[in-house]
Amino acid sequence: MNILGISCYYHDSAACLVKDGVVVAAVQEERFNRIKNSSDFPRNAINYCVQAGNISFSEIDYVAFYEKTYLKFSRVIFDHIHSFPFSYVNFLQSIPQWLQDRLILPLILKKEMGFEGKTVFIKHHLAHASSSYLVSPFEEAALLIADGVGEYATTSYGYAKGRDIKIHQEIHYPDSLGLLYSTLTAFLGFKANSGEGTTMALASFGKPVYLDKFHEMIDVKDDGSFRMNPKYFGFNKGKFMYSRHFIKLFGEPRKQGAEYDERHKDIAASLQLFVEQTLIKIVHYLHRETGSTNLCVAGGVFLNCVANQKILEQTAFNRIFIQPGAGDAGSSIGAAMYLYNCILDNPRQYILEHAYLGPGYSEEQIRRSVLNKNLKYTEYTEEELLPKVAGLIHNMKTVGWFQGRLEFGPRALGNRSILANATNVEMVNVLNARIKHREWFRPFAPIVPEERANEYFEMINMSPFMLLAPKVKEHTRTLLPAITHVDDTARVQTVIKEHNPKLHQLLLEYEKLSGVPVIINTSFNLQGEPIVNTPDEAIRDYLNSGMDCLVLGNILLEKE
Amino acid sequence: MPEHKPDVYINDEGLCNLCVTYDIMKKLEDNKKPLETDFIKILNKYKGKQKYDCLVMCSGGKDSTSSLYYMKKRYKLNPLAFTFDHGFEKEEAMENIRNAVDLLEVDFLFFKSTYMKEMFSKIFTSGSKAVVCHPCSIWYMDLAFDVAARYDIPLIVAGWTKGQSTNQGVMSKCGCNIHAPEFKAMAQSTIDFLITELSDMPKYKGFPKSMEEVLKRANKKHKSMVISPHWFLPFGPEVYVETIKKELKWKAPDLSYPGGSTNCLLNFISVYNSVKYFGYTHYHVEASKMIREGYLSREEAMKQLEINFDKKLLNSVAEKLNYHFD
Repeated sequence: MNILGISCYYHDSAACLVKDGVVVAAVQEERFNRIKNSSDFPRNAINYCVQAGNISFSEIDYVAFYEKTYLKFSRVIFDHIHSFPFSYVNFLQSIPQWLQDRLILPLILKKEMGFEGKTVFIKHHLAHASSSYLVSPFEEAALLIADGVGEYATTSYGYAKGRDIKIHQEIHYPDSLGLLYSTLTAFLGFKANSGEGTTMALASFGKPVYLDKFHEMIDVKDDGSFRMNPKYFGFNKGKFMYSRHFIKLFGEPRKQGAEYDERHKDIAASLQLFVEQTLIKIVHYLHRETGSTNLCVAGGVFLNCVANQKILEQTAFNRIFIQPGAGDAGSSIGAAMYLYNCILDNPRQYILEHAYLGPGYSEEQIRRSVLNKNLKYTEYTEEELLPKVAGLIHNMKTVGWFQGRLEFGPRALGNRSILANATNVEMVNVLNARIKHREWFRPFAPIVPEERANEYFEMINMSPFMLLAPKVKEHTRTLLPAITHVDDTARVQTVIKEHNPKLHQLLLEYEKLSGVPVIINTSFNLQGEPIVNTPDEAIRDYLNSGMDCLVLGNILLEKE
Repeated sequence: MPEHKPDVYINDEGLCNLCVTYDIMKKLEDNKKPLETDFIKILNKYKGKQKYDCLVMCSGGKDSTSSLYYMKKRYKLNPLAFTFDHGFEKEEAMENIRNAVDLLEVDFLFFKSTYMKEMFSKIFTSGSKAVVCHPCSIWYMDLAFDVAARYDIPLIVAGWTKGQSTNQGVMSKCGCNIHAPEFKAMAQSTIDFLITELSDMPKYKGFPKSMEEVLKRANKKHKSMVISPHWFLPFGPEVYVETIKKELKWKAPDLSYPGGSTNCLLNFISVYNSVKYFGYTHYHVEASKMIREGYLSREEAMKQLEINFDKKLLNSVAEKLNYHFD
C-alpha cells in the first residue's frame, strides 16, 4: 500500500511516501525550488517520492494531508470577522489563496498529478503527534504538540498506546507559544517562521529581566495552560504580529540589520525562559496525568533544542522522541502514518532512526557534475579519503561534505554538511566570514560518535537529529571552544555508525589527529538559501564561497 | 563534436559555442527540468476523450518500446501502436514490436511500403550530402499525423530521449531544431536534395520539403501534440531497459549504431555518410546534450558512438538500392 503524505500552503511544504508502513522517501519542497521554507504545492517533492519509491503515480492508493482544511478555514473566517475591520487587508490577501488551492485540494491533486483516489485530511495536531509517536520506538508515550496554530489548536496534550492516539486537551488560537515565539522573533528583527533559532541563540547572551512582563501578557496556570492577553498581539489585525501595547511594554522593535543591545538580548532570554518554564509546567502535568515516562513531542516549538534539553533535564520523563522534521514538514509523515496505522488499522512496524530520506546521487552522477564544470579533482577509495579529509579539517580547512541521501527536516545531519575544526575558536569566525555570514552569536553544532558522546557532553538522551542541547562537560569546554556556546551548551548530533558509517569513521580518523572525535557540522548552504540538494548546487556553493574543499562521495576538490 | 566543423568555435576557456549557448539557455530556462507530473498534466488533458488516447510510434528499440509500455501500464492509457517498415527494418526490431503489442494487448497498426526506396537510392547515387534519416523521418511523421487524423488521436508519442530537445517549442517540431548550428548544415543538405533532386521524380510530387511543412499540413487537418515520456521521466535506459526485457521480452539487437540502440539497416549508411560529409552524426548531437545534462559521461558517449560496422555491411544494404561503396 502506497500513501503519499503532503504538507503545504503555510510554510515548509513537504511530501513523503509511506510504502507498506515504511517511510521510503521524505523531502521538503524548498530543496528543489530553492525557496527557503517554501509553502508551494510540493510538486517536485512528490515527483521525487514517487521516483524513490519505485512506483508510478497510478499506484498511489491514498493521499494524506496534514490538516483539515475546512476546519482551518472556519477558524480563519471567524478570526477575520472577529478582527474586522483591522483584518480587512489580510482578508483580501488570504481568501483568494484559500479558494484557488487550499479548499479544493482533491482537484489540485487531480490537476497536478492525475490523482483521483481518496484524499484523507488528518487534524493538524494529530498529524504532528503521529509524526512523532508512530515512528518512535515507544509502545506507549505521553504526547505534547506545540506550534503556531493548526486548525484551532496551538498546544495539545495526549497519550498514545499501541495504535491508539488520544488528544485529551487542547489550547486554542490565539493562545499560542509558537506564535508568541514568532512574534518576538519578528520584534527582534528576524524573519518569523524561520528566524526562531536565531532568537534562541541570542537568548543565551541576555538575562531574563523581562520575565515579569511576559507574565503580565500571558497568564499561565499550574498545569501549564495559558491565556494570552490579546491586546498585546495583532496576529490578524494588520502588518505586525505585535500591538502598540506590546511596544509600550518592551520598547521599539529592533530593525533588521541594526545592532543588538542588551535589551534585545534580555528580551530574547526572557522569552526563552518563559517558554521553557511553561513547557515544563505542561510536561509535569502531562506526566502526572499519563504516568508515562516516554514523551513524544512535535510541532515547530520543539525545534527549540534548548527547551527540549530542559524538558529532559527537569521533568520525570526518561526518554523523549523528536523526529527530525518536528515542524510542519514532518507532519506530512504524521498524516501518512496515521492513515496507515490508525485509520487503515495496520500494525506499527517502522521506527524513524535516521533522516536520510531525500535524493541521493550516484558516484557516476557526481563525476559527471564535476567533469561538466571542468574542475580538477582527485578520486579516492573510502579508506584513503577519510584520513585525508580528517587531515584537512585538522589543518583548519573548511570542508563541504556531500554524501548519500539528503536529510529530511531543517538540520544538515552529515550528508549535506560543512565540516570544520571544533578545537579552534577561530573557526567560528572563519566559517562566518568565508561561508555562512551568520549572526556572530549563533553557535556552531558539533557531531560526535554516539558511543563517545558522554565523554564530551552531559547526555541524558542521544541526539541523532540535533534537537537537544546538553552541557559540554566542564573538562572538555576548553578543548572544544568552537562549539561551546556562551551558556556552555552545544547543539549536539550523535552519529550512529549503523546509519552513517562514513561520517562515523571520519570522526574516528579525526580523533587520531586531534585527540577528540568531535567536528563542527553546519548546514551546507549559503546565507538565505535552503540546504543544497544536488552535486551541481554543492559545487556552485563551493565555488561561490570561501569553502576550502569539497568532498562529493569519494571525490575531493581542493582550492589552490 | 568536431572542432573543424565550420559552425563550431572554441573559445579561450576551451568551450565551444554550442556549450556556451547551452549554458545561456539553461540559465534562461531557470534550470527547471520537466517533471513527470508535467507529463501527467498533458496526458490528463486528452485521456479518455477518444477511442485511442495516443498513437505510439514504435521502432522496436528500447526507447519507443518503453514508451508504449509506459503509456499502457504506467499511465493507463489506451494506445494505438504504429510501426512502419520501409523495407530496411531489422527482424529483431519487428519481433520486439510483436512481443510488445501482444503482451500489452494493445491495438497495432503495421504499415509496410517500398514508397521511399527510390528516394533513398537517389540520395546515394546523386552524391547528395542529404542525411537519409531526414526524409525518412519527414515521411514517417507525415504518416503518423495521417493515422492520428484518421483515428482522431490527440497525442502522438515517440521514444525520443533527453538528448533530443526537451524544449516545448522544439518538441512540436518533432525532436530537433534544424536551425540550431549543430543541425544547420545537415538540414540544409536535405532541403537542397528535396528541392532539386526530387523535381524530376513525379512519384514524390507533393512530398513535404521539411518537418515544418509536415506540421503545417498536419495542423490544417488534425491537431496532435507530439511528445515523449522520456523527456519527463526521472530515470533513463538504465531503468527501463531492464523493465522491458522482463515485461515485454525485449532483446537488444546484435549490431546497431549507436551501441545499444535499435536502428534500421539504412542507418548504417546514414552514419557513414554523415561522418564522411560533416564529421559527425545527429547521434553525436544527441549524445552531446546528454553529456551537458549529466546523463552520460563523455567516455560513455564516445564508446556508444564508436563505429562498429564495416563496408561489407554497408554494401549488403546498399545493393538493395543499386549502390556500391568502394
